[in-house]
Amino acid sequence: MFGGGQGAVLSSCETEAGGGVVWRVFQDSVMLIAVSRGGGKEEQVRLRRLLENVWSCMVLVLGQDELVHVKNVERLKKELRSCFSLIDLLLEEKLEGILGSLTHCADSLLPPNASVLQETVDGFARAADSEFGCLIVHGRIASATEKWWRLAPQEVILLSAFVRSLSSSGSASCDYPVFLPQGSPTVAHRLLRFQLLPGADVCVLCGPTPPLHEAEAQLVGRFWSPLVETLRECLALGERCLPGSVTLRPDVLALLLINRETRRSVCCVQMFPHHHTLSKTRRWELLRSFYTFSTSRYFSQEEAACGPPEERALVGDFLQGFSHQPQQCYLVTEECKSFGLQTPQHQLFLLSPPDVPTFALRTVATQTLLLLPLMN
Amino acid sequence: QKNGELFYLELSEGEEEAALARAASSQGVSTNHVRFSDKEAEVITEQDRKQRRGLKAEGETALKRLARILRRKRRPSQRRGGKEGGKENPASSRPASILKNQAAQRQGVTVQQQRLKDACVYLNPKRLGGGCEGGGLLEALLGVVHRPARSRAPGDPAAAARREERLTVHGLIPNSPAAKCGQILIGDVIVAVDDVDVTSENIERVLSCIPGPTQVRLTLETVALVDGGGGAEPSPARRPKASPPVSQLVRLLWGEDTAELQMSVGHIPHVVMYLSLKLDSASPQDEEEILYQYPMSEASGQLKGVRGIFLTLCDMLENVTGGRIISSSLLLGKHLVHVGYWKEGSNLLVIGLPAERVPLLCLQTVLGDVVRTLKVMYGSLDSAFCEVDHAPRLDHFFCLFFQQLIQPWRLREGCSAPPPSAPPPPPDVSGTLFLEGLPAVRWLTLPPEIKMEVDTVLSDFESSDFGEMSEDFFGLRRLYVTLGSCLFYKVGSYLIANHLPKEALLDVCLYCQHYCLLPLASEQRVGQLVVWREVFPQQRAGGGVAAGYSRPPGRHFLLIVGLRHFMQCVLLEAGGCASPAAGSPGPDCVYVDQVKATLLQLEALEAGMEERLSAPPAPCLSCADWFLPAAAARERLDGLAASSPVLSKLAGAVRGPPPPPGARGRGLFGEKSRRSSPQRSLSDSGGEEHGSGAGLSPNSTPDPARRRRDSLGSNGSGGLFKVNPNPFHLGTLKKTLTERETEEMYATLKLTAGAENTLFHYVLMETVRGIFIAPTHREVAQLSGSIHPQLIRNFHHCCLSIRAAFQQSLPGRRAADRPLGGGWGLGPVKEHGVLFQCKPENWTDQRKPAPTMTYWVIGRMLLEPVPQEFYVCFHDSVAEVPVEMAFRLSFGLAL
Repeated sequence: MFGGGQGAVLSSCETEAGGGVVWRVFQDSVMLIAVSRGGGKEEQVRLRRLLENVWSCMVLVLGQDELVHVKNVERLKKELRSCFSLIDLLLEEKLEGILGSLTHCADSLLPPNASVLQETVDGFARAADSEFGCLIVHGRIASATEKWWRLAPQEVILLSAFVRSLSSSGSASCDYPVFLPQGSPTVAHRLLRFQLLPGADVCVLCGPTPPLHEAEAQLVGRFWSPLVETLRECLALGERCLPGSVTLRPDVLALLLINRETRRSVCCVQMFPHHHTLSKTRRWELLRSFYTFSTSRYFSQEEAACGPPEERALVGDFLQGFSHQPQQCYLVTEECKSFGLQTPQHQLFLLSPPDVPTFALRTVATQTLLLLPLMN
Repeated sequence: QKNGELFYLELSEGEEEAALARAASSQGVSTNHVRFSDKEAEVITEQDRKQRRGLKAEGETALKRLARILRRKRRPSQRRGGKEGGKENPASSRPASILKNQAAQRQGVTVQQQRLKDACVYLNPKRLGGGCEGGGLLEALLGVVHRPARSRAPGDPAAAARREERLTVHGLIPNSPAAKCGQILIGDVIVAVDDVDVTSENIERVLSCIPGPTQVRLTLETVALVDGGGGAEPSPARRPKASPPVSQLVRLLWGEDTAELQMSVGHIPHVVMYLSLKLDSASPQDEEEILYQYPMSEASGQLKGVRGIFLTLCDMLENVTGGRIISSSLLLGKHLVHVGYWKEGSNLLVIGLPAERVPLLCLQTVLGDVVRTLKVMYGSLDSAFCEVDHAPRLDHFFCLFFQQLIQPWRLREGCSAPPPSAPPPPPDVSGTLFLEGLPAVRWLTLPPEIKMEVDTVLSDFESSDFGEMSEDFFGLRRLYVTLGSCLFYKVGSYLIANHLPKEALLDVCLYCQHYCLLPLASEQRVGQLVVWREVFPQQRAGGGVAAGYSRPPGRHFLLIVGLRHFMQCVLLEAGGCASPAAGSPGPDCVYVDQVKATLLQLEALEAGMEERLSAPPAPCLSCADWFLPAAAARERLDGLAASSPVLSKLAGAVRGPPPPPGARGRGLFGEKSRRSSPQRSLSDSGGEEHGSGAGLSPNSTPDPARRRRDSLGSNGSGGLFKVNPNPFHLGTLKKTLTERETEEMYATLKLTAGAENTLFHYVLMETVRGIFIAPTHREVAQLSGSIHPQLIRNFHHCCLSIRAAFQQSLPGRRAADRPLGGGWGLGPVKEHGVLFQCKPENWTDQRKPAPTMTYWVIGRMLLEPVPQEFYVCFHDSVAEVPVEMAFRLSFGLAL
C-alpha cells in the first residue's frame, strides 16, 4: 500500500495488547486487511489464514475474472454482498467444533457405518452425472466421493462452509453456481444441494445437467430414503464426530486429529467428565490457540511450503531455525495441559485436565492416536 | 592528580572515555590481530591473506635483524602460550603472529624499516583553549598521552623505574595533531622533537618553546625495541596504555575497520532511525523528521524511504486497535525485515532487523535492551539522539549492535587466534539472543572459601577506607561514593561476585554486552582495560522513592577496569554524600589504581577459579553423541556394564580424568581438595552407596570395563570417551583424590533420574538476583561431538520460543479479568516442552535407517519461592519432572 513504490511490501503489524493487522494483495487487484485486537503473536497466523479464506470465498462466489478485471467498482461492491454471509461465517466461526478454516483440513465425521454411506454417495453422484458428491452432517463431511477429496483442501473447506451457510437459510434444495478457487477460478460449476434431514445435506458439483427439480424429484428419494435411519445415527453423533465404538480416555478433554496425507481432520470435545470446570466454548478456544501456537512454532504446515514464495518467507522464519525436527510439544497452563504430537502421517493435539501428570501426557496421546485408526 | 585531568580533555569532547589498553605481548596476542587494511582489503580472500602473510614475513625478517632481544621475548611468550592455551593449536603460531602484525604495521606506515622514525606534526599553540588545565603541553598541544610511571600497576617498581625517563606514547587524543598524522603509534617512544632530545623532564619546556603554528618533526622509537628491553617475563609492566578514540577501539577489538565491516553487511537491510512524530508540514525541509539514522547503506536507505509507513502505522494503529504498535514485518525484495518500534514522548525509535537473524519472537527483547542501554548511557533516548555531538558515538554503538546481531562470527574471528581459513563457524545467533536476552548475567558458582575471599576483597574496596580515598587523608570531601561493584572472571564471561543491586547490575551488564566487553574477550587475557563514563542507572532515574526519603540527587559514573582475566565494574556516585561533580570529570587515578590493586589481589585467587572452571561439570552433562548408537563400542560397553551390576558400580566410580599430557594436569589435580562442593550431594542414596564403594577401592584393580574404556579413550575413537566424566555413570562420578581422599567424598550432583545421566544442557535463571547459571564454555567444549553443538543451538532456539511463551503469558496474569481471548489465548504458561528428534548427519548406510535420538527441551517457570526460570535439555529415555530438576539444581548450587 504505502511502500510499494519503494520496493517494500508491508505484511503485518503487531500491537501491545497482542492485536495485529495483516495486509495482503491478491492478484494485484484486491487488497485485504484484517485487524484484530488481541490474540497474541499467533494471532497473525490466524489472520493470514482468514485473508486467504476470504479471498477464496470471493472467488468462489464471483469468479476470479470478476475480481481481477474490475470494470465497475460500484458494481463489484454490490456483487460482493452476495458473499458476505459466507465471509461472516468465517469471521464469526459461529459453529464450534469446525476448525477447517484454521487448519485447512476438512472437518470430517466418522460415521458408524461408513461403507453404506460411501456407496450411496458414490451412486448418487454418478446418477447426477457428476464425480463430485459429498454428504455433510452438522457441517462436517461424513462421506464424499474420491474426486471430492481430490479437490484442494481449501476448496473442500469452503464448499462445506458454503453448504453450511446455504442450509442455514432453511431451503430444502438449491442450485448455485460456484467457481473453484484453485480448480477452476474462471469457469463456474453448479452446486446442487439437497437437505435430507435437518442438519444433513448432500451436494454434488455438476455440469449443466441435470436440472435441480429433476434431480430432487428422481434421485434424492431413490438413493437416500432407505438410509434415513443411518443418517439419524450420524446426526446423533452430534459434535463428537466419532462412532460410539471408540471410547476416548476420560482424561482427554478435547482433541484434534489431522491426517496430513488426506488433509482430513476430526475434532471433538468430551464433556462427560462433568466435574471439570472448563466450559465447552473455552475448550474449543484453547484447542484453537494451542493448534496455532504449535503450528506456528514447531510443526510445519504443509501448504505453507507450497504457497507463494512471499508467504513462505513469512511463515517459516522461526521454524527454519531449528536444526532438529520437533516431534512433540506440550504446554502446562493454569487451566489445562495441552499436548501436541506430530508423526509423518498425523498431527494430534489434545487437552487434558491439569491434574494429569505431565509425563503421562505422552502416553495418553499415543494411545489416543492408536484408538483412531479410522483416520487413514 | 595528573591522571584525573589526563582524561579531562577527552571527556569534554564527548564525555565517554574508553581507554583501552592491550597487551602487545602474549596475553593480548590474539586480540591484537590487527589487519591493517591495505586499501584494497574489503573482504579478505584467501589469496589476499597469503599475500599479506608474505608481506608480514618479510617484515619479520627485517625486524629480526634488529631485534635480538625481541626474539628473546618471543620465547617466553611461546612458553607461556603453551601453558596458557594448551588447547590452542600450535602454540608457536600465536606469539609469532603479533610480530608479523607489527611488522606489517610498520611497513604500512613507513616505507623503510627503521628503528627510529620521523613524524611530522603540525602544531599550533595558539589554538590551545583555556580548557586544558592539567594535561601538560604534551597532551594539549600534541595530543599525546603519556602516563607517568607512578600511575602504573603496583608490584612492578623495577619496570617503572626503568621507564622513568622515557616518553612513551600511552595514548592519542582523538583529533589531535598526533592522531591525525597517523605515524605516531601507541607504544612508541618520543625521542626527540626537532632533533632536540626529550625526556619526561624537559618535554614541557621544549614544547613551550614552540612559538607559533609550525611543523615539528618528532623522532620516535618503535615499540618492539622498547618493550623488548624487558626481556625475561612478559609481565604487567609491558602494557602500553591506550586511550584510543572509539573507532580505533573498534579496530582494535575487531581487527578491522568499521567501514569495512559495515560494508560487508550492506546488502542486508537493517536500520535504526529516530523519528520525530511532530511533523511540521509547513517547513519545506526534507527529511527533517529524521533525528538520527544509521547506517547509510543502500538497503537501509530503502527502509528509510518507507519511513512514512512507520510513522503512519504508529499513529494509526493506536487508534484502530487500542494498543501501541510494537512491531511490523515487511518484505524488502527477498528479505523479510522485522521492524520494532519504541515510542518515547513525541519521538519514535525504529529498528529494522532481518528476520533470519532476529525472529519476531525476540525482537521485543532486543529492542528493549537497546533502549535500556541507551538510557543507561545517556539518561534518555531524547538526550541520546537529539544532541549532535553524540552522533559518532551512536554510530559506533549501533555498528557494534548490528554487527553482533548480523555477523557475530566476524567479530569472533577478529579476536580468535589465527584468522581461520576454515569457513566461519555456524553462528549460534539464537544462543546469543537467548542468553543476552535474559535479564540476568551468567554466574559462576565458586567454592565457598574462594567466594568469601572474593567478597571480602570487594567489600574492602567498596568501603573506600583506604589511603587516599578516605576522607581523612586530604581532609576533603570524597569525590565519589562507591555504590557497589561486581566482578567478572575470564573477562566477563562469568560473574563471580556482585555487590550491586540487581537493576544496576543489569544496566552494567547491558553496557558491557553492547560494547562486546563480555563476549569478546572471554578466553583471552586482556592486558588492561579502563572504561569510564557517566551512566544513568535506570532504577535511580526511575524514582523508587521510599516514603520520607528521597534519594540524593547525584550523578553516577561507571568505572570498568579489566586486568587480565578479571574485570571489575564499579558504580560510583558523585553528589549525595560525596562532593557533587561538576562538568564532566574524568576518572580519578586513585580509584582506578584501587580497582587495579583489588584485581591484583584477586589474582591470587585465580587458581581456585581456574580450577572451578576446569572441574568436571557440577551437574554432570552428557554429550548427545553418546546416545546415538552409531558407535558400536557403546553397545559393547553397555552390555558389559549391564551384565554385572558390581562391575557397573565400579565403573561408575570412574577415576578422575587422566592428566592430559602436558601442562594442565597440575591445574586439574593440584589442590583438588579446595574444590569443595558447591555441589552438595543431594540425598541420592544410590549415589552415596556408589561413592562409598568407590572410596574403598578407588584405585582398585582395573576392572575390565574400565580398562576397556580407558583403552578406547586413549585411541580416541571419535573423541567419544576422551571426556573425563564417565559417559554412562556420571551420576556417581567420583574422583580419586591424590591427597586427603578419605575426608573428601563427593557424590556429584546429578539432575536427572535413572541410572544413566541424560542431561545435555541447562540454564537456570533467578530473576531476583538477576543471574543465571549454565554450563561453562569449557564444560561444553569438553563434550566434543558433532551433534552436541547442534543440539545446543537447537536448545537455545527453542528456549527463545519457550521464554517468549512465558513472557507473553505473564501480562495475562496481571489482568486476569480481561476478557478471555484478549492477549494470549492460552492463559498463563507454567511449563512448556518440546521433543526433538535428531539424526546423525551424512548417514551413508543405505540399508539401515539412520539411528535417531530424541530429546526434550523443557522450560519451567517458577514463581515461588523465588521467581526462577529453568530450561533444560535431556534425553528422552527418562521421564522427568522439571520442577524437581529445577529445585535440585537451585539447591545444589550454593547460590
